[in-house]
Amino acid sequence: MEDYTKFKLKRKEELDAVLADKNDLFVVACNKCFKELDSFDEPECGLFEEIAKEQGKNIVGSARIDFLCNEPLTSKSFEGLLPEGTKNVFVISCGLGIQTIAGLVEMPVYAASDTVIVDGHHGMALTTTLCDACGQCYLNLTGGICPVVDCSKSLLNGQCGGAKNGKCEVDKEMDCGWQLIYNRLEKQGRLQEMLNQPVELRDYSKVNHKFVSEYVKSVREERYEGYYGGIHPTEFKELSEHSSLVRFPEPLNVVIPMSQHAGAPAEPIVEVGQQVKMGQKIAQAVGPISSALHASVSGTIVAVEPRLHPISGLEALAIVIQSDGKNTLDDSVKPAGDLDKLSADEIIEIVREKGVVGMGGAGFPTAVKLKSPKPIELVLLNGCECEPILTADHRVLLEYADEVVYGLKAMMKASGAPKGVIAIEDNKLDAVELLQAKTADIENIEIVVAKTKYPQGAEKMLIKRVMGKSVPSGGLPMDVGAIVCNVSTAKAVSDAIQLGMPLIERVMTVSGNRMNKPGNYLVKIGTSVKEIVNHCGDVKGDDVTIKIGGPMMGFAQANLNVPMLKCSNGIIAVETTVKEAVECIKCGRCADVCPMELRPLYFTKYALSEDWEGMKTQNTMDCIECGSCEYICSSKIPIVERIKIGKTAIREGK
Amino acid sequence: MLITQLKSKETIEALAQGKTVIINCHGCKEVYFAEHEADELQKDLNGVTQIITTDYICNPDNLKLQLKKHTDVINAADTILVFSCGVGVQTVAALFEGKKVYSCCDTYPLPGFQGVTPLNVDCGQCGECYLNGTGGICPITACSKSLLNGQCGGAKEGMCEVDKEMECGWERIYRKLEKLNKLDNMKYEAPKVRNYHNPNAEEPTI
Amino acid sequence: MRITELFQRGEFVLTAEVGPPKGVELDHLIKDAHEYLKTRVHALNVTDNQSSVMRTGSLATCKVLKDEGLLPIFQITCRDRNRIALQSDVLSAALLGIENLLLLTGDYTTLGDHPQAKPVFDLDSVSLIHAVKRLEEGFDIAGNAVDGAPPKFAKGAVVSPCSDSVDVQLAKMEAKVKAGCEYFQTQGVYEPEKFIKFMEQAKQFGVPVQLGLIIPKNVGMCRYMNANVAGVHVPDDMIKELQADKEKTKAGDTGVEICARLIKECKDYAQGVHIMSLGWENRIPEILDMAGIAPITPVV
Ligand code: SF4
Ligand code: SF4
Ligand code: SF4
Ligand code: SF4
Ligand code: SF4
Ligand code: SF4
Repeated sequence: MEDYTKFKLKRKEELDAVLADKNDLFVVACNKCFKELDSFDEPECGLFEEIAKEQGKNIVGSARIDFLCNEPLTSKSFEGLLPEGTKNVFVISCGLGIQTIAGLVEMPVYAASDTVIVDGHHGMALTTTLCDACGQCYLNLTGGICPVVDCSKSLLNGQCGGAKNGKCEVDKEMDCGWQLIYNRLEKQGRLQEMLNQPVELRDYSKVNHKFVSEYVKSVREERYEGYYGGIHPTEFKELSEHSSLVRFPEPLNVVIPMSQHAGAPAEPIVEVGQQVKMGQKIAQAVGPISSALHASVSGTIVAVEPRLHPISGLEALAIVIQSDGKNTLDDSVKPAGDLDKLSADEIIEIVREKGVVGMGGAGFPTAVKLKSPKPIELVLLNGCECEPILTADHRVLLEYADEVVYGLKAMMKASGAPKGVIAIEDNKLDAVELLQAKTADIENIEIVVAKTKYPQGAEKMLIKRVMGKSVPSGGLPMDVGAIVCNVSTAKAVSDAIQLGMPLIERVMTVSGNRMNKPGNYLVKIGTSVKEIVNHCGDVKGDDVTIKIGGPMMGFAQANLNVPMLKCSNGIIAVETTVKEAVECIKCGRCADVCPMELRPLYFTKYALSEDWEGMKTQNTMDCIECGSCEYICSSKIPIVERIKIGKTAIREGK
Repeated sequence: MLITQLKSKETIEALAQGKTVIINCHGCKEVYFAEHEADELQKDLNGVTQIITTDYICNPDNLKLQLKKHTDVINAADTILVFSCGVGVQTVAALFEGKKVYSCCDTYPLPGFQGVTPLNVDCGQCGECYLNGTGGICPITACSKSLLNGQCGGAKEGMCEVDKEMECGWERIYRKLEKLNKLDNMKYEAPKVRNYHNPNAEEPTI
Repeated sequence: MRITELFQRGEFVLTAEVGPPKGVELDHLIKDAHEYLKTRVHALNVTDNQSSVMRTGSLATCKVLKDEGLLPIFQITCRDRNRIALQSDVLSAALLGIENLLLLTGDYTTLGDHPQAKPVFDLDSVSLIHAVKRLEEGFDIAGNAVDGAPPKFAKGAVVSPCSDSVDVQLAKMEAKVKAGCEYFQTQGVYEPEKFIKFMEQAKQFGVPVQLGLIIPKNVGMCRYMNANVAGVHVPDDMIKELQADKEKTKAGDTGVEICARLIKECKDYAQGVHIMSLGWENRIPEILDMAGIAPITPVV
C-alpha cells in the first residue's frame, strides 16, 4: 500500500536558520492524511520540538490536529488554543495546513516542513495509479494508461526514444509509459488506430484557474449551507413523489407491539378474546415517557404475546387483533371542540391520550415535548424528508396541508411558542408553494425553504439551519427554545383534536428501485410488512435489501413478518450493497461530512481496541447516527455499527 | 483533489461502439460529479447493455467486488465507458486489459491538490516550502506565474494580469508581510530558484 | 558597446523600442530604424514575442540590426524558455557581440495568440538577472564553470513608477538591483509628479533610470491602457487634451506634444528616455526636437 504522507520536516540546517531569530513558539502538527491509520500520533512534532529546544527556544505549547486543512473544523479546534505570550507559530503539515493556519492567526506563521511531491493526484485508495488532472483526458487514445503521468516527459505522440530495455531514461526503475501503451493497444488490436491518430498538442490553458476557483466556491457554499457537512445521496424520489395517496386494503390481522415509541413500553389493558372497536385504547402508557396504543381495526384480540419487532430484531410483547372488516368506531372517537376554546394543558392531554408520538423516526411522545420545562420560542415542523426515496411527508404536505397547519397551531398553543416554522427542502417546491399559500395570512407561521442536503431533517441540523443556534452537546432542542416535530405528527395532532382519532394509521412510502409498484399509502398501524410488499408487486431481483425507513437510517429486515409501526415512514427495496471493510486510509471524508463535526475515523479504531475513554474524548455520544460518515467512507468501514458499540459501552458505564 | 467534467456528448457518442457497459463512480460526488448530466446523456446512448453505478472504483479490490455480479455482461461487452476521474478509468482499464475502456470525463485539479476537502488555498507541492518568507501565502499557487522573487509587474490595481478577478499573489504577500511587520522578508539575499529535480533529496544549489 | 558606459559618461541615454514582425521580412523595420532612429537614439530595444504573440526572435533581429550598424538591446522574457535555454541564449548573444540585455519576467501565455501554450516561468526577472551575473562571473546558475573568458553585458530591467502600488514596485526594484541590474527602463509614464516622487525614492539605489514613454495615439488607446495595462495611467486632463482637437490628435500631433512635454518635465530627474512608439517610429525625431534633445552620433 502506498503512503501518501504529504510532508516531511525541513532539513535541520534550514530549521536552524528559520528559528534563529524567533522565540516563544507554538507548534501545530497535522496528523497526516492518505496513509494507513496506524497511529494518531505522528512523530514529527516531537522531533521539531527537540530541534527547537536544542537551540534554547521556549515552546509555549503544541497541538496535533487531524486534517489541519479542513478549515471549518480546524478553526474551531484552534480557538483559544494559543497561550498568552506566543510570538510565533510553527506548523508541521503540508502546504495546505500551513496556509490554513496562516489564514487563521494574526501572528507570523512558519513552515517547519516541506511538502512532498507526488507527480499527480491519487485516488481514494492507496494505490499507485495517478492522474495529473490535465483537463483533456487522453486515456481514450492510450488504452487507459495515462501518458501525462506514466511518461516522464508527458509526451502525447509516442515515446521519446530514450528508453532502454523498456525502462524510462529518467528513472530506470520505471517502465517507459509509451511502451506500456503500445503493449496494451497491441493487445486490444488497436495499433492501427494509434498510428492514425492526428498529432496531439496539449492545451495548457484548459486547466482554467477561474473555472476551478468558481467551482470550489460553489462546492464550499453547498457543503456548508445551513450547517457543516452533510451529503447528497441520489434521491430516487421521482419513483413515488407524484403518486397520490392510496388507502391500503383492510388488513386481516394487525400486530401492535407495545414498544413503538421512545421510553417505556405500554402495558396491555385488553385480554385475548375481547372485542375491540377501532380507536379504542388497548394499552396504556407506563411512566412519564411512554405512550398509549389504540386498536387500528375493530375485531377480536387473538393474542397478547411476543412477536418479532422490526427495529430491535427481537421478540417483544404485542397485541394481535383479528379484524372484523367493519371498522366500527369506538365511542371515544369524537371531536374535542374548537381549538380556541381548548387550554394548553387540555391540548397536551388530548395528544397524550391519543397516543401521538414523533412520526419521523424516533417516536418520542409528543405530549412530553409539548410540556417543556423551558420556555419555547419556536415550534419547528420538519417537512424536509431528507432521506432519499421517501416521499410520505411530501404527500402529507400536499394532501393534508390544512391539517398540518392546524396541528402546528395546536402545538404552538400547547407549548406557548409565539412562532411556528415549517421547513421544507427545495426538492419539494410544489409543497412549498401550497403551504406558503395556506399560511400567507398567518402572521406567526413561516415557511422556510432549506437547500436539499442530508441530514437536513435531523433535529439539530434543522435548528442550526433555521435558528442559527447549536443545541449544546448532550442537550435537547428545548435548551435553545425549540420543539421539532415531523409534519405527519402535526397531522396526527390535528386528527386527535378535530376528529378525536388516535394515531392508528399513517402515510408511508413503499418504494425503491427494486420495488415493482412504488407508491404512497395510508396504512393501518400493525399491518404486516410482508402484506404491503406483496401488494406492491413484490421486489425485482434477488440481490435486494428491504428496509423499514429510508436507505440511510432505515432498518434492514431479513424477515418480513413484522408489523409497521407509528414511526415507520417507508418500506423500501434497494439493491443489496456488497462491501468489505479495509483499513482506514485517513482520507478525511468522514470528518468532512459529519454534520455533528465529529471525527468518525477515531471511532473505527477505538471500537476495535475497546478504548472507551478515547470514544468519550471524541464525543461519540453526540453522534446522531445519521450514517453520513459510513455512506462516504472510502474504506467501506461500518462506522455507525462501531459507534453504536462505543455508545452502548459508555452507557453501560465502561 | 480533482474535479471531473463530462466530455462533450458527441465525443462520448463516438466512443460507445457495440455492446457498451457504463460504470459511474459516485465516490467523489460530494466534491464533484455531474450526476444528472451524466444520467441524461447515458439515456440517449446506443447499445448500452448495463449501467453500473458504484463508488471508489479507484480501489481495485472494491472495484472487483462491485463488478462481480456483472461479470457476464462485462465479458460480453465491446466497450466500457467510465465516468470518473482519470484514476478510476485507469483502474478499470488495468482490470480489463483486453477491453476498450474509455474515459468520458476530463479531470481538473481542485485547489488543495490532495487535501481532504475543497479548499480556498492550494499547494503546488514544490518540495521546498517558501511560506516562511511570504507570510504564509504560497507564491507557487497564489501567483499565476509561480514567481519566487516578487511580482512580475503585470498586475493592475492589485489584480493579476492573467485573471482580473484574482488578486496578485505577490501584492497579497507584500500586504500580509506589511501587516505582520515583516517586510524585511522581502529584502533580497539571494534569488530564489526552484529545484525541480527531487527537491526532497538535496539542498537546492543556486 | 554597452549602454552602461553611456550612463557612466553622464550621457542622457535615449532608446526606442522596435518589434520584430511575424515573419522574416525585416526590410521595413531596418529602413525605419535608419531613417528615424539611427541619429536620434543610442540603442534599440528588440522585443521578445511581445504580448505573448509569436514573432521572429529577438536575438536574430538584434544581430541583423547590429550588422546594420545599430546598437540593439536584447529583451529576454522567462515565459518561453527554461533556465537552460535562457542561459544558452545569453551566451549566444555574447557570441554575436550583443552586449545589452533587458531582462523581464514576461506576459502570461494566455494573453497572446497561443493561449494553449505551456507557460514556463522557470526563472523570473530577478533570478534571470542573477543568472546573467553568474555567467559574467564565469559560472552558470548550477555552479558549473563556463569555459574561456566570461561575457560582459549591460543588464537592464523594468520598473513601473506610476503603479497603483509603488511600495511593492520599489521592493522588487531593490531586489533587481541587488541581483545585479545596472539600469532601468520604466513603464510608460504620463504623470510627471508620480515619476518625480518615485525617483526621489529610487535614487537611493544609485542605478540610472530611463523615463519610459508610450506615445498616446488617441483616446481609445488611453482608455484601453487605463483599463488593461499594468502600471500605466493616463490622467483625465490628458484624455481631455486628446479629445479637444480631434484633427490634431488624429494627425498624431497631440501625442507628440504630450511626449515632448513629459520629457521636459521629467528630464532633470531621469538619466535617459525610452520611447515605445508602437509603430510610430517616424514621430520620434519630432518628439525629441520638441523636447530640445539634439541628434546624437551613433555609438556602435
Ligand atoms: S492535506 Fe490536510 S490533512 Fe493532509 S497533510 Fe495536508 S494539512 Fe494535513
Ligand atoms: S490523461 Fe492522464 S492526466 Fe489527463 S485526465 Fe486522463 S488520467 Fe488524468
Ligand atoms: S453517524 Fe454520527 S459520526 Fe457519522 S456522520 Fe452521522 S453524526 Fe457523524
Ligand atoms: S472516511 Fe473512512 S477511510 Fe476515510 S478517514 Fe473516515 S474512516 Fe477513514
Ligand atoms: S475513481 Fe476517482 S472519482 Fe471515483 S472515487 Fe476514486 S478518486 Fe473519486
Ligand atoms: S511554497 Fe507553496 S507549493 Fe511549495 S510547499 Fe509551500 S505551499 Fe506548497
